[in-house]
Amino acid sequence: MAYRLVGWPEYVFPAPGHVIRSLVEMMDVSVFTGGRPLLIGPAVSIARLIVGFAISIALGGILGLLIWRWEELDKLLGPLFLGLQTLPSVCWVPLAILTMGLNERGILFVLVMGSFFAIAIALRDGLRTIPPIYRQAGLMLGARGWRMYRYVLLPASLPAMVGALRQGFSFAWRSLMGGELFFTAVKHHGLGYLLHLGREDVNAARVVAVMVVMVAIGMAADRWAFGVLQQRVQARFGLG
Amino acid sequence: MSATDSASRLAPPAARPAVGHLSLRHITKRFEGNGTIAVLDDVDIDVKSGEFVVVVGPSGCGKTTLLNIAAGMLAPDQGQVLLDGRPIDGPGPDRAVVFQDHGLFPWLNVSQNISFGLRMAGATRAQRDARVEEALRMVHLVGSARKLVHELSGGMRQRVAIARALVMDPAVLLMDEPFAALDAQNRTLLHQQLQELWLQTRKTILFVTHSVGEAVRLADRIIVMSAHPGRIRREIPVDLPHPRLLDSPAMNELVHLVRKEIEEEVNRVHAAQSAEDFWKPQTPAPVGDHTVGMGDGI
Repeated sequence: MAYRLVGWPEYVFPAPGHVIRSLVEMMDVSVFTGGRPLLIGPAVSIARLIVGFAISIALGGILGLLIWRWEELDKLLGPLFLGLQTLPSVCWVPLAILTMGLNERGILFVLVMGSFFAIAIALRDGLRTIPPIYRQAGLMLGARGWRMYRYVLLPASLPAMVGALRQGFSFAWRSLMGGELFFTAVKHHGLGYLLHLGREDVNAARVVAVMVVMVAIGMAADRWAFGVLQQRVQARFGLG
Repeated sequence: MSATDSASRLAPPAARPAVGHLSLRHITKRFEGNGTIAVLDDVDIDVKSGEFVVVVGPSGCGKTTLLNIAAGMLAPDQGQVLLDGRPIDGPGPDRAVVFQDHGLFPWLNVSQNISFGLRMAGATRAQRDARVEEALRMVHLVGSARKLVHELSGGMRQRVAIARALVMDPAVLLMDEPFAALDAQNRTLLHQQLQELWLQTRKTILFVTHSVGEAVRLADRIIVMSAHPGRIRREIPVDLPHPRLLDSPAMNELVHLVRKEIEEEVNRVHAAQSAEDFWKPQTPAPVGDHTVGMGDGI
């Protein structure tokens, strides 16, 4: 509608019809990228996400636990983490290129740096909300040492952890898309690269089409994977 | 299997030497706030094996602090807690606690909650299942074994909490206003069930409450505390036979006596805020001129 009213050409502001046409086109074999872009792109991105998010969970989990357990460490690192969380993840790209090079490791670096602070902070905050009575009850029932962690604190923090994962995921997905947009010289091409390619070709319809796919994947994961998980945990705990 | 049979298996065998003698010796506890406040000042309580002792007192008399010290959750500034002659070392399953807010684990179902302590103690699955089954029967919750905590009523939650404590076969049961959050009907029901359980198992029980009616209904001995600082004001033995019925003249007499003690205490400290609770009559207390040979004087 808008472009017809204002008179913008199609390559500046695409109509929904153009976007849909682009989506269909990208399902076909492309000479530029080789293979079907809309199958390969998301597959590559999701594979990266799985690896990077796993690293992020491990790092963020350990760090979150540490800063929750030792207050001195939290005083030292907490503000730093909060500060780094405000840094847009694409700002890690130059450093990633310099230290890791233009390769897969660089992309993962951006993803991990863009998401694991959020996971650590969310986990710390979640652990802090565990009612002290669970700890007391656990001690009274003989849960000491590692058993306290494994059988009381870990399950008690489940609602918080699912929340941390959900938030961490959205950070990770955004960082990955940003990273891929810049790391165009790597062998495998993810969704971010398709976005970059659309711009190179001055094809706004394709750019918007790729954005639609990014949002769709992000929303689907948030709603169906993390949302469902969160609902289950909350139902178990009788929350909400 | 009847409830009594199952109960007797949870109770310590007769051959075992009597356990559960809890001694609180010269307990003093201060909290730092706006100036130091002595919450407990030289409190000495001896709970004999199998005895049911109830501590009552106005808010701020430190009765919950006292229970937390007995549980090992808090360390006293002075004095010590002995269980069968040995000093206690932190919280442990030998002194099971029933909390006011139940403290059940929401990620576990009823039977998993009850078996938690046994699991920590390394009991096998078969042992756990058998004990949990018995405990469920004792608190009349066999049908709710698979339910989640949030699916239970307040009264049921406290019964699970009691089962969770009893299944550990503790030397002492510590109860911190366990029925304070329940409605009147549930409270009465749980008083009756707790009395039954106690008669079956003869556990040593230290019970803390602000309800005088509850104290008189359950206790072998009532300890009235004073506030600011928390001290023992008076000890009142209750020689009425168990299980006790509501509203017997003898009980009313005793309720009146204990309430008077607390009223005087409240007046003494001008704790106007906490006073209200105790001035509300819990039962119409018609004290006739008949004398009942119990409770009066020590």
